[in-house]
Amino acid sequence: MLQQRNDRAFNYLYENYSGALYGIINSIVSQKETANDVLQEVFINIWRKIESYDPAKGKLFTWMLNVARNAAIDKIRSKAYQDSLKNQSFPENVDKGIGNAVTNPKPNDVGLKKILTRLKDEQRVLIDLSYFQGFTHEEIAKALNIPLGTVKTRIRSALTSLKTMLQ
Amino acid sequence: MNVQEYISSGIIESYVLGLASAEERSEFESMCSQHPEVLQAKMAFEEALEKAALQNAIAPPADLKEKILNKVQPLAKIVSLPSSGKTGLLRIAVAACLILLAGSLYWNVSLYNKNKKTQADLEISQQTLAQMEADAKAIHRSGVKMARMDGTAISPQSYATVYWDTTSHDVYLMVNNLPTPASDQQYQLWALLDGKPIDMGMLEISEKPLQLYRMKNAQRAQAFAITLEKKGGNPTPKGLMYVMGKL
Repeated sequence: MLQQRNDRAFNYLYENYSGALYGIINSIVSQKETANDVLQEVFINIWRKIESYDPAKGKLFTWMLNVARNAAIDKIRSKAYQDSLKNQSFPENVDKGIGNAVTNPKPNDVGLKKILTRLKDEQRVLIDLSYFQGFTHEEIAKALNIPLGTVKTRIRSALTSLKTMLQ
Repeated sequence: MNVQEYISSGIIESYVLGLASAEERSEFESMCSQHPEVLQAKMAFEEALEKAALQNAIAPPADLKEKILNKVQPLAKIVSLPSSGKTGLLRIAVAACLILLAGSLYWNVSLYNKNKKTQADLEISQQTLAQMEADAKAIHRSGVKMARMDGTAISPQSYATVYWDTTSHDVYLMVNNLPTPASDQQYQLWALLDGKPIDMGMLEISEKPLQLYRMKNAQRAQAFAITLEKKGGNPTPKGLMYVMGKL
């Protein structure tokens, strides 16, 4: 019985949200195979940690979106993923370091990231680095050579612009 | 920073998207519990974010679902355990039953807890709604005049509205945006009649969004204004004027 209920819940979540979660994963991870692995990890994580989801803190989707983003960022930070990128023949994928990310924002924006294309360049770069690549404010400040406080203010204002675009 | 400024500071997006620091998160959670308008703005952003994510969804490969389902089915493991004779099988069956039982108990308890929380949230929302409905009725009665009070030069962002019932002479005040006063200060509402200020009462700022404050009754008035006075107020305005508007 429990299993049936689980199956039904899984079906519901998968049917309704796998596409949205797959979208966010693909805007962080560029390889399809890896994105598939991450989606699998995400659903396993959702399953394991569903008890830690607290409805008082936010919507179920917000929680799942964060699970997906964290899993995808963990993946792009992993050594295996970094190595696999180096073996690819496409030169633009060789270096995913922060410096390169700043100068060459990826043009193939998919999923939620599509919305970013409507932001000003300066704001887009900051959201890309912090949200889609998971760099801390400190790392960004160092890489772009701007004060930490400024990074924070600019990210906040970029987020506010983003919100206006979502509405 | 007042509540409106806090709402539009980008903290909501930061929190929801998981970019806020631990310190910002706990501050935000306490703001949410104190200021329903913060919570409301957060819920609106979550809603918009979910919608945007669904609009920008990418369908995963069709065969992935089955693969993932197999991974998340915890019972699949028990069924496929190698069995050694009848007692082995029985043991596995008993173990499976116990796991099922424990699982379903856990499930029930957690559902029960979630249900309680939802119930409490619902009650709070219903109370807020009932209050807002009562307020809406009060200001939409016929004969209610409205004075929009705009910010003065010292605080152009400020904005408040007075609703004056010409029949009952009841006065209601809605604070759309006023800076948070220092702890020893308080806003005071004045009615202006032939250039003379009449005390309309002190403003006890509440946490609720779009709250209507019931002020003193006014027999006649041509305009309304709010000044910032010492706590408890003054018989005539001494402090700076923040907003003013004519009927």
